Amino acid sequence: MNTLDDVREVREASTASLVAVIAIMIASALGFVLLTAPLAKLMGSGGGALPAAIHGLMAFLYLFVGTIGLYLGWRLLTGQIRAFADLQLLAVVAATFSFLAICFGNWLYIYYRAPVSDSPRSYFVKNMPEVHRIFFEFKEFSALFTLPLAVCAAFILWRYGIQTLERPWLRYSVAVLMGLAFFYLVVAFGLGAAVTKLRPA
Amino acid sequence: MSPTTSTAKPDEKNVEVAWTPSTRERIPGGIAVAALMAAMVGMLTLAVVNVFTAASKTFNVWVHEVGKLWMPGAAGIGPYSGKETLALVAWLGTWLILHFALRNNDLEISRWFIVFLVGVGIATTLIWPPVFEYLAGH
Repeated sequence: MNTLDDVREVREASTASLVAVIAIMIASALGFVLLTAPLAKLMGSGGGALPAAIHGLMAFLYLFVGTIGLYLGWRLLTGQIRAFADLQLLAVVAATFSFLAICFGNWLYIYYRAPVSDSPRSYFVKNMPEVHRIFFEFKEFSALFTLPLAVCAAFILWRYGIQTLERPWLRYSVAVLMGLAFFYLVVAFGLGAAVTKLRPA
Repeated sequence: MSPTTSTAKPDEKNVEVAWTPSTRERIPGGIAVAALMAAMVGMLTLAVVNVFTAASKTFNVWVHEVGKLWMPGAAGIGPYSGKETLALVAWLGTWLILHFALRNNDLEISRWFIVFLVGVGIATTLIWPPVFEYLAGH
C-alpha cells in the first residue's frame, strides 16, 4: 500500500464530531472560568452590574452582526451580492439582538434612573446635566429605532426571497433599512458606552 | 446584476455562488409598502409622544400608566415604558391593518420608500433633545 492509498483511507470527520469537540472545549473553558474567575469584580459592584453586562453583551453582538449585515447590505444595494441566504439569516439575527438589547436595556434603565443620590441619572443631573439631557435622551430613542428597521428588513428579505434581487427598489429599500438600523445602533452603542464609562449603573 | 445559473457537480456540496431567477408568482409590492409604512409610523409615534410628554405633565403621567399596564418593572423604568408601549402598538397595529389592506396591491415601492425616508428623517429630528425641548416650550 503506498502513501496515496493511506491518505484515501482517512475518513473525513463528521460535522457532529467537530461540533462535539468544539462544544466540549468551550464548556471546559467556561467551567474553568466560572469556577475560578472573580466574575463579580469583573462586572462591577453596582446594583445594575448584571443587566449592564448582559445589555452590553447583546449590544456588542448586535454591533458585530450589524457590521457584517452592513457589508452584505452594501453588496445588495450594488447588486453584487452572492451570499443572499447569509443576508437573510443575518437580518433575523440582527433583529433578534436588537430586541434583546432593548429588553435588557429596559432592565438596566431601572438602575440608571433609580431615585437615589448615587444613581447615574442623579449624578449626571447634578454634575453634568447635558450628558443626561441630550446624549442619554437621544441614545434611548435611537436604540428603539433599530427594532422596526431591522424587523422590516428581515421581513422583506424572507417574504420576497429571491425576488428582492430582481426588483431594484426592494434591494435599495432593504439595503437602506440595514444601513439606517446600523446608524442608530452605532449612535446608541457609542453614547451608551460613553455614559457607562462616565458613571456605571 | 444578471442572473446566473450554476449546477453543482455530483461530488460537490451545494455552495451558493450565484442566484437563480425566482419561479414564484410575483409578490405584490403592497406587502413591502405596508411593512415600511408601519415602521415609519412606529418611529414617528415614539417621537411625537415624547414631544407631548415633555410638554405636558398630565400626559406624561398618563403615558407612564400605559407602560405600567403590562411592562415588567415599568414603575422603575418610568414614562419611557409607556412611550415604548405606544410606539409598539402603533407599529404592529399599523402593520396589521396595512398588510391586509395592501397585500394584493402591487404598489410602486420607490414612491413609498421616499415617504418612508422623509418620515424617518422627521422622527429623528424630533428625538433630538434640543428640538423636542424647543417644541415642548422649554
